[in-house]
Amino acid sequence: MMNEIVLEVKNLKTHFISNKGTAKAVDGIDFVLRKGETLGIVGESGCGKSMTSLSILRLIPSPPGKFVDGEVLLNGKDLVKMSNEELRKIRGNQISMIFQEPMTSLNPVIPVGEQIAEALRLHQGLSRKQAWDKSVEMIRLVGIPSPEKRAKQEPFQLSGGMRQRIMIAMALACTPEVLIADEPTTALDVTIQAQILEIMKDLQRKIGMGIIFITHDLGVVAEMCDQVGVMYAGQIVEHRDAKDIFNNPLHPYTQGLIGSLPKLYEDQEELQIIEGTVPSPYDYPEGCRFAERCPFSTDICVQKEPSLIQYGDNAKVRCWKYTNEWQDSLAKEVLKS
Amino acid sequence: MFLFIIKRLLQIVPVILGVTLVVFLIMQMVPGDSAVILAGEGASKETVEQLRVDLGLNKPMHEQYISYISNVVQGDLGNSLKNNQPVLDEILIRLPITMELAFFSILITVVLGLIAGIISAVRPYSYSDIGVMVVALLGISLPSFWLGILLMYVFSIKLQWLPVAGWDSTAHIILPAITLGAGGAAIVARMTRSSMLEVVGQDYIRTAKAKGLAEHVIIYKHALRNALIPVITVVGLQFGSLLGGTVLVESVFAINGLGRMIVDAIRTRDIPMVQGGVLVASLVFVFVNLLVDTMYRVFNKRIDLN
Amino acid sequence: MTVNTSLVNTVDLVLARKKIRREKRRLFFSTLGQNKAAVVGGIIILFYISLTFLAPILAPYDPYAINLQDKLQFPSWTHWMGTDDKGRDILSRILYGSRLSLGVGFSSVFFGAFFGIILGLVAGYYGKWVDTIISRSLDVMLAFPGILLALAIISALGPSLINVTIAVGVFSIPLFARIVRGSTMEIKQLEYIDAIRTLGANDFTIIFRHIFPNILSPIIVQGSLRLATAILSAAGLSFLGLGAQPPSPEWGAMLSSGRDFLFSAPYMAIFPGLMISVLVLGFNLFGDGLRDALDPRMKK
Ligand SMILES: Nc1ncnc2c1ncn2[C@@H]1O[C@H](COP(=O)(O)OP(=O)(O)OP(=O)(O)O)[C@@H](O)[C@H]1O
Ligand code: SF4
Ligand SMILES: [Mg+2]
Repeated sequence: MMNEIVLEVKNLKTHFISNKGTAKAVDGIDFVLRKGETLGIVGESGCGKSMTSLSILRLIPSPPGKFVDGEVLLNGKDLVKMSNEELRKIRGNQISMIFQEPMTSLNPVIPVGEQIAEALRLHQGLSRKQAWDKSVEMIRLVGIPSPEKRAKQEPFQLSGGMRQRIMIAMALACTPEVLIADEPTTALDVTIQAQILEIMKDLQRKIGMGIIFITHDLGVVAEMCDQVGVMYAGQIVEHRDAKDIFNNPLHPYTQGLIGSLPKLYEDQEELQIIEGTVPSPYDYPEGCRFAERCPFSTDICVQKEPSLIQYGDNAKVRCWKYTNEWQDSLAKEVLKS
Repeated sequence: MFLFIIKRLLQIVPVILGVTLVVFLIMQMVPGDSAVILAGEGASKETVEQLRVDLGLNKPMHEQYISYISNVVQGDLGNSLKNNQPVLDEILIRLPITMELAFFSILITVVLGLIAGIISAVRPYSYSDIGVMVVALLGISLPSFWLGILLMYVFSIKLQWLPVAGWDSTAHIILPAITLGAGGAAIVARMTRSSMLEVVGQDYIRTAKAKGLAEHVIIYKHALRNALIPVITVVGLQFGSLLGGTVLVESVFAINGLGRMIVDAIRTRDIPMVQGGVLVASLVFVFVNLLVDTMYRVFNKRIDLN
Repeated sequence: MTVNTSLVNTVDLVLARKKIRREKRRLFFSTLGQNKAAVVGGIIILFYISLTFLAPILAPYDPYAINLQDKLQFPSWTHWMGTDDKGRDILSRILYGSRLSLGVGFSSVFFGAFFGIILGLVAGYYGKWVDTIISRSLDVMLAFPGILLALAIISALGPSLINVTIAVGVFSIPLFARIVRGSTMEIKQLEYIDAIRTLGANDFTIIFRHIFPNILSPIIVQGSLRLATAILSAAGLSFLGLGAQPPSPEWGAMLSSGRDFLFSAPYMAIFPGLMISVLVLGFNLFGDGLRDALDPRMKK
């Protein structure tokens, strides 16, 4: 059954509380991930992608972070309600994660092979020798030459790209059901990037893992993903089949992103292509969070917050444009003038 | 690495020269005529003049300094004014005692300090943390000579578990070593705690958590090893205050080490003895620092990269 | 015209800098006030300072009056801290002794700070060979372990409380100098220092009117922590008989004579030690609190 849901996130909210106020970094995220499927998450820097993925595994540093609301269902079981003990059995085993920061995410004083092997011993009950061999095997798999030698080295002896591949090997070692990859290939050059993506797809085919793929790179989305969630200001604003989103983006924000696709290749780091600025997470406007930058904005957009509504069979969008209220609002404006 | 050590060795040459200069200047700073002082009380005018010529005290200062250095290099630290025996002989008897005391004290500093620091860092702001940190604050505030006297009063006089003073058996080492090591232990504990708390916020600790590792594995395997690196430097610096502290602790516990030798020499105005003692203690410290620097570099190389 | 605009800009820069400084100071005092450790430390220090003034009023007896009939008396209502081997009232001696301990502590730290700050400013501001010479000399001073440099100085000058003050002060110089040097180098690179220089300010004005006020805070923190060490070192040297000489009521010296009566009169050693410990604790608490208030990174 390829359509089985492995991971479902409902109304996830994580806020950061400090003396500056409350930053609503993740503010009501919903999505489903099916077995063997890749869900891409795209959005501008700071929109809450990383915080969403960290929230899933309860890795948000607290304080200042605070889980506010929501459910994270892995095969129907809510991770939010689990004890730390139970959650530890899931971390690195059923759900693993590749972090955005490859340079600092490996322990500087432990040989990289051991950093992979320890998870294997823990979750798969392998002996020291077996775990080490498997670890070397994983390092080979992600395309690092002379893996036996590399496994014994410490991170400072490896290049940035190699470290990121070690992270990938670590995340894949225990054949997780869900892989959360936070910009896994940003630090790599194009050929290695393609190679890594191939490895991930390959493993996905073999073990049917679901992947949450966070990226800035719409090209990679087109190549890798089945579904796409577009995030803006702590929320999902559009959730689509990947093949549809490029042809027919619904949300004005997505339209902005897609419309400037060629530009994106010039500067893959930043998605700063739409005029205006993102509202501060400390102080979101009452209505639509995109209203200030949206060419279609009307009265209702500024007054009331849109919700994520079903549009057609397999699309969701958070925009008044696709509602009946929109028509009323337009009509009113016409009447006024 | 080898190059690094050579470079550091070359760097300490001027420091050592500076130290010898300061030690040499002690004699010059003494008010009065060096020859008269060196000849001792009641020496005749002829003896004083003879000594002046013998020791080259009539020569210009820089020549005196050069001959002082060349003597030091040949292991001649002068003769004691008290018994006219070579200073070096006395130092060679005293130094091992002080080094033994220093060794056990630094052991206490490191072991006690680390354990306390870890206990604190594991549950920050808990009662155990606050308790340890209060004790550590006392540890850096109590004068070692007072702590020594208190320990002596409780364990030697009241409870009579341990000998009062001297340096004959293992039991004699315990109280002085605790006295001398306590202040350092407090500093190491504070450093370990803050270093651990900083490390716990690092990305790689998050990685370890994401792997599903248990908390104790994260703390002892992933955090502690990194947290200890800055602690190494602190221990090195502590060794300096510890060597200085032997002066006090050896006096409290009547241990005939180098520190007590220096103090006695100051009291009897046996200047060559003071010079020799201070010089040797400083050289030991300079070399211990070199060792600590090298260790720090070995461990820190991994971290410096990013 | 161009001259004028640059002048206006510079004046603006200097004023802005002053404003920042004032704002920082306000913030600093408010955080300091909230820091429990600093408040407790401050109260302890004030308590000791008031003792130095009130000693003649508070002391029930003459601290030097020998009264052999009453010697080695256990603490009682008549002698709260007992009497020593010469029958002197320990409480009175301790009260008067506060002047010596605090006096030596403050004077030696001022001595060390004065020379250390000048050396640090000069080394940090001029850099190059001036810095090299000063820094190397500081390295040499730091190569002496603990109080051995102080011992060496005393061995030359002879034992006395004044010489202890000088010796302990000298031993503080490199610590102040290093901190000041580092901060000076940082401030020197700021744009507004350049601006002032183009306006024709001389080095002296720049160093003392513009750099020095900006590096006061680390100096104060270091000063408080140094006071703790200085008081400990000075008491230690007197304890060794190299500082204050009997019958001076210096606490280290009192402790030293108390040691000979540990069997019969332990309080002779306990009270002076307690006084030193609490005072040092006060400076440590205050110094820690200051550092936290000045370094927002450390706040939780
Ligand atoms: N420690 C913190 N304190 C306060 N706010 C925080 C903290 N960490 C994150 N945030 C908030 O969370 C928001 C989302 O951050 P996040 O790292 O998830 O963005 P992102 O979408 O992953 O961006 P990028 O593409 O740059 O990785 C930020 O805008 C920030 O306001
Ligand atoms: S709700 Fe209104 S403002 Fe928001 S995206 Fe849709 S049209 Fe634009
Ligand atoms: Mg991110």
